Amino acid sequence: MINETVEHPRTTSLKALSRDKIQTITSSAFTRLVLEAEGPIAVEFMSYGCAHCRAIEPVLEQVAEMVKPRERIFRVNIAVEQELADSYQIQGTPTLVMFLNQNEVGRVEGPSPTLSSVLTAVTQPFES
Amino acid sequence: MNGSQLTMMQKQSKPILLFNDECAVCRHIGHWVQRSAQSKSGETSILVQPIGDDPERLRSLNSNLDIWDAYETIHVLMPDGSMRLGGEAVAETLRNLPNTKWFAWTFATTIFGFRPFQFILNVAYEILADVRPLFGCESCGKSKVLRPIRWVTNWAKELSGGGHHPSPTPHFSSSSAARRRPLAVSGRSLPHGRHL
Repeated sequence: MINETVEHPRTTSLKALSRDKIQTITSSAFTRLVLEAEGPIAVEFMSYGCAHCRAIEPVLEQVAEMVKPRERIFRVNIAVEQELADSYQIQGTPTLVMFLNQNEVGRVEGPSPTLSSVLTAVTQPFES
Repeated sequence: MNGSQLTMMQKQSKPILLFNDECAVCRHIGHWVQRSAQSKSGETSILVQPIGDDPERLRSLNSNLDIWDAYETIHVLMPDGSMRLGGEAVAETLRNLPNTKWFAWTFATTIFGFRPFQFILNVAYEILADVRPLFGCESCGKSKVLRPIRWVTNWAKELSGGGHHPSPTPHFSSSSAARRRPLAVSGRSLPHGRHL
């Protein structure tokens, strides 16, 4: 927890922008970017208010950089995209669902927030 | 008045307290602040908003505000573009409430360069933040206060051959909390907390 006063000028923050290495997609873009796309794709079903999602976020961003451009990782906010979460029977957050050529090929619920764990989660389904 | 107009108006005029709508403790405090901030004439001295789910909406309030940070610690967004965090945010909130501003000046009191009352408030906030899961915060993870007890328990189980097997999904939280919609934008009354 932080206790401090932060004085910020009202300018665009590069720090804030640079944290968005994973694109958040909506249900309308989901079909085009995930189901109709070629190649391996991992989708993180998450919520910003979820402590576990917060813990995994920096690791997932690191992994996204490592697997790029072989594999793409997207984020779906289930608090907004509830129907999409229901259609994929998301029981909790974070859940990683891996897609290959329109098919779900793997799923990991609540991966440990370590580099090896998350890297394995998003790459292993595509190796078999 | 639509959401963006409301956002612009709020950004220019009054401090905005952001609270975690998925945390029962935070929601309860948010409601209390909203009620306390209203004067008899209906004027409000500080605006109260749930953090919500939209990172861009938060950045429209303050370009340096990151949604993950907002959920990590309490934020008060000041009209001048600065932000107060943690215990400083609590002090700023108390300074803006009619019922508490009479004593909130103490947090700025400096003794030999040290602010003792602010320090106490910071510690109190840290403790409250750490124990929120015990009071019904569904989205705050495990209580940091209980971690040492859990470590000792697990260690004792291993010693006694209890075969502690870590859960294959140790960081998995039910989506029920995350799926709840934000309560309301500031300026409208917030419904009572659903977990209280």
